[in-house]
Amino acid sequence: MSLEGKLALVTGGGRGIGRAIALKLASQGADIVINFFRRRDTAEQTAKEVQALGVKAEIIRANVGDPAKIDEMFGVIGDKFGHLDILISNAASGVGRPIMEVDVKAWEWTMDINTRACLLCSQRAARLMEGRGGKIVSLSSLGSFLVWPTYAVVGVSKAALEALTRYLAIELAPLGICVNTVAASFVETEALKFYFDEQLGKDKLPITPAGRMVTTEDVANVVAFLCSEEAFMIRGQTIIVDGGFSIYNPLSVLERKD
Amino acid sequence: MTIEEQIREIMARITHVDGSIIRRESTFKDIKADSLDVVQALVAVEETFGIEIPDEEAQKFQNFGDFVSYVENQVAQKEKV
Ligand SMILES: NC(=O)c1ccc[n+]([C@@H]2O[C@H](COP(=O)([O-])OP(=O)(O)OC[C@H]3O[C@@H](n4cnc5c(N)ncnc54)[C@H](OP(=O)(O)O)[C@@H]3O)[C@@H](O)[C@H]2O)c1
Repeated sequence: MSLEGKLALVTGGGRGIGRAIALKLASQGADIVINFFRRRDTAEQTAKEVQALGVKAEIIRANVGDPAKIDEMFGVIGDKFGHLDILISNAASGVGRPIMEVDVKAWEWTMDINTRACLLCSQRAARLMEGRGGKIVSLSSLGSFLVWPTYAVVGVSKAALEALTRYLAIELAPLGICVNTVAASFVETEALKFYFDEQLGKDKLPITPAGRMVTTEDVANVVAFLCSEEAFMIRGQTIIVDGGFSIYNPLSVLERKD
Repeated sequence: MTIEEQIREIMARITHVDGSIIRRESTFKDIKADSLDVVQALVAVEETFGIEIPDEEAQKFQNFGDFVSYVENQVAQKEKV
């Protein structure tokens, strides 16, 4: 699975899952553009780690919730490289509130960053992929269909993202662009600490049927596969990476009377 | 308008409070700014003054005055260059 000579943009690529994806794609030979928002230091650190793998790394600051900033970012990529092969729409934010406390501001902030940004970045990326094809992979979560307390806005933004993926997959197929989503369950990152009390001991986190938590690398591996030619016929899908968490029936703990 | 007045106006617009209650010693909590309000204020201030306020710095702000002082310093440094 070589990505040599390819150029990938990873939004929110400075830390967490985005960082793992940047490093994975770089390890396969792709040059990486890391987009970040508030953590320049972390993005610079990740860029150094990417370069240590022998490929090029650029960092671009842009709030993907702001269409003008997305335009500027793609302007820079266009001027500097003139093309793009892979877009990873990974950046996400959100407001953790019970549904009765969700206001217009919280809704728009979340939707703009988690959903609209994927549309706008995909449109801009598709132009830079013209004549060469490409791969677009976005990051969703189980919260798009499993209800979790205070996750409403983010869950809805992810459900919309998965629907958007299907539309993009069909409408961009004639351009040779493959579009898919990877949906993960709990992954150990800062986001998890943000939503769930930091004191929540590791032993209390829901262990998957696979026997351990999902790691950022587990997610990055599947994203990298979707960026490979082997995945050419997978289109518009949401691939779940959760160690079987979402299909496990909690009633399984009941003992059966024989 | 001074830098302080401009930032006060931005904060008041975002948190829907009366600007006159925002003093240098006011905490973000006093101004009723939740974490989303603070990020939005940071973004608005960055754009107004053409500066960058890293999260690491913003996390150190104890009150409105710290925020203003940081911006004043950044703007002064920018003007020197
Ligand atoms: N962690 C989980 O358990 C989990 C589970 C399922 C799905 N996911 C999904 O996987 C993706 C990555 O999650 P994560 O846990 O790695 O996230 P994270 O640790 O919270 O990091 C968020 C990333 O998004 C960037 N970002 C946030 N707002 C942005 C904006 N407005 N513009 C540009 N970049 C922005 C951040 O940039 P800065 O570093 O500059 O702030 C950071 O790189 C997200 O789409 C998330 O929903 C996560």
